[in-house]
Amino acid sequence: MSVKKGSFVIEGLENVQINIGKVGAEDEQIAEGPTPRPEIISLRNWDYRILDRYNPVYTPTSDMCDLCTYGKCDLTGNKEGACGIDLEGQSARQALMTSIMGAACHSAHGRHLLNYLIRKYGEDFKIDVGPSNLQAPLTETIMGIQPRTIGDFRPVLDYVEQQLTQLMATTNTGQEGASRDFESKALHAGMLDLLGMEVADIIQISCLGFPKSDEKAPMAEIGMGILDPKKPVVICVGHNIAAPAYILDFMDKNAQFDKIVIAGLCCTAHDMTRYNKSAKIIGSMSKELKYIRSGIPDVLVTDEQCVRADVLKEAQKLHIPVIATNEKITYGLPDRSNDNVDDIIEDLVSGKQPGVVLLDFEKIGELVPKLAMKIGPIRKAKGFTALPDDEEFRKLVAKCTKCLQCTRDCPESLPISDAMAAAVNGDLTLFEILHDKCVGCGRCDYSCPSDIPVLNVIEKASQRVIREEKGKMRIGRGQIGDPEIREEGRNLVLGTTPGVLAFVGCGNYPDGTKDVYDIVEEMIQRSYIIISSGCAAMDIGMYKDKEGKTLYERYPGRFVKGNLLNTGSCVSNAHIAATTIKVASIFAGRKTKGNWEEIADYVMNRVGAVGIAWGAYSQKAFAIGTGCNRLGIPVVVGPHGTKYRRAFIGKPYIKENWNVLDGRDGSVVNIEPAPEHLMITAETKDEVMPLLAKLCFRPSDNSLGRAIKLTHYIELSEKYLKKMPDDWHVYVRNEADLPVAKKEQLMKLLEKKGWKIDWEKKKITEGPLRKVDVSFQPTNVPRLCKEVKK
Amino acid sequence: MKGNNQAKPKMPEAIKPATKTEKPVEKQEVKVIDTTRQAVPYNTGNIPGPKMARAVMPAVPGKMLAKAKRPLLIVGSEIDDEEVLARVVALGRAGIQIASVGDSHKYLADKELDAHYVNLHALASYLCDPQWPGLDGKGGYDLVVFFGITYYYASQAISALKNFSNIKVVSIDKYYHPNADMSFGNLKQDVFIQALDEVIAQLPK
Repeated sequence: MSVKKGSFVIEGLENVQINIGKVGAEDEQIAEGPTPRPEIISLRNWDYRILDRYNPVYTPTSDMCDLCTYGKCDLTGNKEGACGIDLEGQSARQALMTSIMGAACHSAHGRHLLNYLIRKYGEDFKIDVGPSNLQAPLTETIMGIQPRTIGDFRPVLDYVEQQLTQLMATTNTGQEGASRDFESKALHAGMLDLLGMEVADIIQISCLGFPKSDEKAPMAEIGMGILDPKKPVVICVGHNIAAPAYILDFMDKNAQFDKIVIAGLCCTAHDMTRYNKSAKIIGSMSKELKYIRSGIPDVLVTDEQCVRADVLKEAQKLHIPVIATNEKITYGLPDRSNDNVDDIIEDLVSGKQPGVVLLDFEKIGELVPKLAMKIGPIRKAKGFTALPDDEEFRKLVAKCTKCLQCTRDCPESLPISDAMAAAVNGDLTLFEILHDKCVGCGRCDYSCPSDIPVLNVIEKASQRVIREEKGKMRIGRGQIGDPEIREEGRNLVLGTTPGVLAFVGCGNYPDGTKDVYDIVEEMIQRSYIIISSGCAAMDIGMYKDKEGKTLYERYPGRFVKGNLLNTGSCVSNAHIAATTIKVASIFAGRKTKGNWEEIADYVMNRVGAVGIAWGAYSQKAFAIGTGCNRLGIPVVVGPHGTKYRRAFIGKPYIKENWNVLDGRDGSVVNIEPAPEHLMITAETKDEVMPLLAKLCFRPSDNSLGRAIKLTHYIELSEKYLKKMPDDWHVYVRNEADLPVAKKEQLMKLLEKKGWKIDWEKKKITEGPLRKVDVSFQPTNVPRLCKEVKK
Repeated sequence: MKGNNQAKPKMPEAIKPATKTEKPVEKQEVKVIDTTRQAVPYNTGNIPGPKMARAVMPAVPGKMLAKAKRPLLIVGSEIDDEEVLARVVALGRAGIQIASVGDSHKYLADKELDAHYVNLHALASYLCDPQWPGLDGKGGYDLVVFFGITYYYASQAISALKNFSNIKVVSIDKYYHPNADMSFGNLKQDVFIQALDEVIAQLPK
């Protein structure tokens, strides 16, 4: 359908003007559900259903509120402050503000890209994400429209921005007061976050030639040890591909990839490799300070999100020029966007300016490689590095008084003084272990009363392991294609694939990066589908088995059991959530457009998907998790996640919380707690593995699927906690649900619990909460029942 | 030590006060410890507000445990140390029910204690709920005592109890926990072990 924009008047009707903006094919634009473009309370009933079962649990980091001049108010013990808000309300308000921050980040990223890509490619540029009819599942489900061109996303982001403003308004003193409604609004912000991410990634996949649902996307090199430090090195830091794409194009055009090394830190790195396979990846945000202080980068290019606030300060010490390419991070630098490239280079090489703001992409593309070629040899000749030499190192470790202040300030409470003491005796192994566990924040530097630059000492001592830090990661594939969903959807809904585990989020791991690798390895060997994105996707690729292979090299990338997929950068998280919508649509034929509640209800009751953000630190990660929660997907966070201050935890001992309706006749069915929680933390990797298995149970599991899930739940608990789970029997509906290999043993245990067993027929005759019913249609939404039982 | 679930406590007499030396009995010095020193949040920035834990000597939580009708001891992933584990076992054998959070159950599985695995975050939620039937279905608890949990994780979990429950919470950890009602100050390992022994010494034999 071809329609031109414009306006016209009809002869004789001078006062009537008809404007034509955007018209789409009718069948694509008619909402199929009741809530297209939901306002901030349109989905409140669904949110209340979630909150009634998964009660918000608040763990405040502060008992005070200091948001307005009435305060500071002491809210300890859930007291009310001067405005009338209590600590529960304040905690919920903080959850909302955190979600808004995260959603704003991703959506603003999307807006920046959309404006740029429309300018460059035109608004009629077709969306192409690979073999999919359902190309924008979140957009369809939330907005009720089916976008075809990148211009179709304009009203989507208009909507997100308008909603976020409405939500932010409710956090002002004297606005919303009920914690329950703050949480409903936080869930709304989380949903908007998913939408903003989907827009950002679909438009960049479509316009920039990223892999499109490519299960065989090539490998990229990853690690602190992969770069040749003898060549000029350009490091791009952040999340937004727009500027790095121009640098890569310029280098490509001028055949500079053998002369200059270009790599990324954090999610920009993902998208650089999706754009040009010559780019490399250093790693997550945890590596930023470590890599800058190594002195290896000759030019630092920043864009937005997950860029340390001290990049300029740190870079300046080592004469590394910083090119700030995005309005959101400008470091107080002069805007040189209108200046001549050679003049800017001269000022940067001479040190007249430590960095510049440069918002003209063409100039960035030209300037950065030229600058690297010019300043690289100068910097290398001078040997800039923040790391001490051998003699300085010996003196520094000897200065440690073991006061433990560094450990007390370290987010991971690392035993730094033990490593110092060992190093005094020439043993660096403890420091090498710390290197993996250290999140690179640098708080230890400020805490040391002896002025030891602790992080530099750790990195100096770890040079051997850093040189060997060379991994492989499969480049971000983008969406899961419709054919893959058709192939796997049934297994997921019936439970015969034990679950989809999405490893997402940041690198604030409680006990080192390798935990993520270990958890993935255990679960993938058990045939879970592992989907990853962002920093977690990078960290999975950092370790090798005895044969020298990473998990990406050992396991293929298709959406089937026992595979390992990387969707891409942080905004590619949208595809992980969207996969569950695709299952509901493609496998079960559920209508999507404007139909969030029905889709989320389906996902919660039938799709065994769980998110795990083991090292989540950012507001963005919280928003993603909250958005997944509104879609019915449980999320587990590492122990630092308690500092997000809110979780959604189920109470299995309150029987009526676990009532659902049978969609066939509206009858009430009391089910097992499945999924038991919607957002929860775990203390260690050994604890989290059985928890993940447990959260994959769904009421719709058939007996074979339930037996498979139960097998993993029991085995993981026995392996890592040395015990049978206390609640395993709750998930048994009949003898067919029992793992075949342990059937008799488990039946004996059930008998001890008082269940009646017919040993002749090997059948359970009494005991389970409910029976298996293959036609059971669990739903939490009364209107979705075909008829309501009185 | 982490991950060494084979560790066997070599101190069956853990209830006795610890002594650091093997000097003859007549010359044995009983070190007097003060667990109220260094009562500042172990993680420097962990300052919740005006109400912070009262620093106490070990006899206080010891007597509270002895008097409590239904106390609960919560232990976590940091009980892998041999000496610490021996004190967990001693407390359990004194009849105190144990909530083994994190992965701590792997250290307790073969000890024949009244120990129940539970997720700490979930436990914090349940403890705030008067309807919760407890880990064994026999009702809620009137006193929660804890140690051996990742510091910040424990601190956050008990902030829920501090603000949204009426349960008394006492830290007998080696870290000062501001969100508890009472806590030891930040202790060195040997003082910590001795403090645990003094707590245990208050319990009925």
